[in-house]
Amino acid sequence: MDSRTIEDRLREEYFDLLPEIRRVTERLEAEVKYLLLPIRSKLHRYEQVVVSARIKDCDSAVDSLRRRQEGGTFDTERPTLYTLRDLADLAGVRVLAFPSRPLTEVIEEIRKRFESWKPDPLTILTEGESLVFPKYNGYCEASNRVRGEIQIVPMLVGLFWEVEHSAIYKPSPQLKGIAADLEMKRCASQVYTALTAFEHQFETLLEDPNLESR
Amino acid sequence: MVQAVDSKWQILREAGYAYNFDREIYFNRQTKKVFSVEFVDDHSESVLQKSIEEPNGTEWRFYFNSSPPAAVQRELENVLG
Repeated sequence: MDSRTIEDRLREEYFDLLPEIRRVTERLEAEVKYLLLPIRSKLHRYEQVVVSARIKDCDSAVDSLRRRQEGGTFDTERPTLYTLRDLADLAGVRVLAFPSRPLTEVIEEIRKRFESWKPDPLTILTEGESLVFPKYNGYCEASNRVRGEIQIVPMLVGLFWEVEHSAIYKPSPQLKGIAADLEMKRCASQVYTALTAFEHQFETLLEDPNLESR
Repeated sequence: MVQAVDSKWQILREAGYAYNFDREIYFNRQTKKVFSVEFVDDHSESVLQKSIEEPNGTEWRFYFNSSPPAAVQRELENVLG
């Protein structure tokens, strides 16, 4: 009988999968960058499309799988129930775009190219509206065991996430409680509302024929 | 929608529940009750309120969408003390 913990088994699985995770990540990043070349080559000076890739690290992967279980706990009596292959985001590519014109084009191109992939949009509830960010996962030619994930996010929101995650989620487990705080959630909701309003106003002014005389 | 989520939070807070971020559960050591995030999300405020008011003995009681296996219950009981 295997006396190792579920976490130990999953860590071993992670390092067995790692070469494939790397291959999927590299392939997806290259494919998405190539796919978006036509869009990136005709961007206005004020527009941006940035593609980045990341590999989920071992501890995050094991923790993520555990927290997907109701009650955030593995059933130690059924260790074979769990596999990291259930995670859709071991290999991830994120596309940030600003403002919404290139973002819409990026979404359309990726949706067409990866039409067989499973949509798994991320919804953020704010006080004014629900913000929905497209996310897709599926298998590519680099592996039939490791799925890749592509996420497309407005650049302002994506940059906010980077700061928020490095401040709250990464440094210490204790800090995670900050994100669950009701007042903090309200503040985050106001940030989303403000970032969305900034982008809308920017685009409204771009379309204003009297912009130069302002 | 945010209001609905907030008001469930409010109900739990006022009833003395704390949130365990790591396990994604709400718990109250006095009443010995545990609510999973999934249960809170999928049930109405009135069901939540009723569940909070239900009498409970000295054993931990779990309000989950799927009844937690014995090993999971033991682990959570250890975590909650």
